Amino acid sequence: MIIDDDVDFVEATSVPLEKRGYHVVKAYDGREGLRLAKIAPPDLVIMDIMMGERTEGFFTVQEMRQTTELRSVPIFVVSSLYSRIEEFKVAPEREWLAHDEFFPKPVDTEKLLKSIDRRLSDDH
Amino acid sequence: MRESAGLEQIVVIDDDYAMRLSCLQALSKLGLHVETCEDGAKGLNSVARLKPDLVLVDLKMPGISGMEVISRIHEIDPIIVIIVITGYATIGTAVDAMKAGAYDFLPKPFKPDELRMIVGRSLQHRRLLLESRRLEMERELLKRRFITFVSHQLKTPLTAIHQYLDVLRNLGDTVEVRAKSNEWLDRCLKRTKEMREIVDDWLTLSRMEGGMLSRQRVKVDLKPIVLNVLKTYREMEEANDVTLVPQLPGDSCLVRGDHNCLSVLFDNLIANAIKYNKPGGQVTVSAEMGDGEVVIAVHDTGVGIPREHKDYLFDEFFRVRGQGHTATTGTGLGLPICKRIVRESGGTIEVESEVGVGSTFRVRLPAYNAQDTNENQKGDPGDFGAEDDIDH
Repeated sequence: MIIDDDVDFVEATSVPLEKRGYHVVKAYDGREGLRLAKIAPPDLVIMDIMMGERTEGFFTVQEMRQTTELRSVPIFVVSSLYSRIEEFKVAPEREWLAHDEFFPKPVDTEKLLKSIDRRLSDDH
Repeated sequence: MRESAGLEQIVVIDDDYAMRLSCLQALSKLGLHVETCEDGAKGLNSVARLKPDLVLVDLKMPGISGMEVISRIHEIDPIIVIIVITGYATIGTAVDAMKAGAYDFLPKPFKPDELRMIVGRSLQHRRLLLESRRLEMERELLKRRFITFVSHQLKTPLTAIHQYLDVLRNLGDTVEVRAKSNEWLDRCLKRTKEMREIVDDWLTLSRMEGGMLSRQRVKVDLKPIVLNVLKTYREMEEANDVTLVPQLPGDSCLVRGDHNCLSVLFDNLIANAIKYNKPGGQVTVSAEMGDGEVVIAVHDTGVGIPREHKDYLFDEFFRVRGQGHTATTGTGLGLPICKRIVRESGGTIEVESEVGVGSTFRVRLPAYNAQDTNENQKGDPGDFGAEDDIDH
């Protein structure tokens, strides 16, 4: 699942993923992403941290972590505001799990695909 | 830094015991917190510890000289107000002391009332200093915030463009991507246009900040301005399937203002009305003469503005998010620019809106009246850039 309010980012990221054989669910804001994820928990979430509301991404991560069926879904956070993980004040540990990753925007598609492949093959 | 609203603190540095006592008595009556010291060294210690609002310094003291004390106090904090106490014989020195940074001087002997008056006046000066320092810091903060937001605003389209190019470059020879390539290149062009608009708006705002856009308030007819703007949007009108309807009076609509600024104002309002409209929608621009003012309304039949967003509408970088995911691009600077222009022109701008029905932006500008003297019509140019929420 990709959650990002930038239509173009969602488009440019979903095509290579679909080509790779993944089914991509698209959401353009945190609320919609959360709603869809609750209906059908995705295997992995790519989420922009800075959407319309500035805290939307953080809030959505938090919400997902508090939702039983989404608690252990890997979340790959993308952001154009921060370029390094250290700058991005990572939320308390319970929200940031070992299988979560951070990618600065623009995202290196090749690297993202590799990480997703690795993560999802580990899980299965 | 203490707020001036708290108890104001005063340090009195004088080697004469009687002088210290009378200062203490006179000033305590004003509700001030007073500390006295008998020499420069002790005085400087107190100043460093208390960071007082005001210091009374006797120029002639044993030990560190009064002049030295003045410059050391200002090393501690340059906006501590200093009053020099001096005998008649040393008025020349008092002038030197003021050159060195003292705010005022009080010749000995003086009456308690004289002391209180001069201290009151100096504290008033200090409050103004604090206020302007506060505004300065606030502006600095807003400026930093502004830069952060502009960067983010530019980075967003830049990222999108990069993302497309990255995929086109690496997967361009695959069927899936080839099928999309033209569409994606169009999107890239659109996003570069968005970036250009951000830069343009940014420049407009900073020119206004620097007072470079003319702030002249001369006789201007709004009618040709509005009609001109409408003409430039003919193309957009067709592309967006929106009808532009001018409802302007037969007579001219004379206001006081600046031609270029007012063009920018209506350009922004009309562009928004088209952009946030619905297919088949309508944009009506009407003008009417009110009581000493011209009221221009730009009305659209668009998506409307949720009530909770109204308060932020004129803030920099705020954008009402479209329903669904049809991303309406924008710089987020258009309405702040409008607000500024209207304020500069001595008018007001307000918005009425209903979600799903449309919005009306109503601008009121002072009507041009040949009888008015310039003075009556002039706003206070001093307030430009010096106040509230949208300055930076």
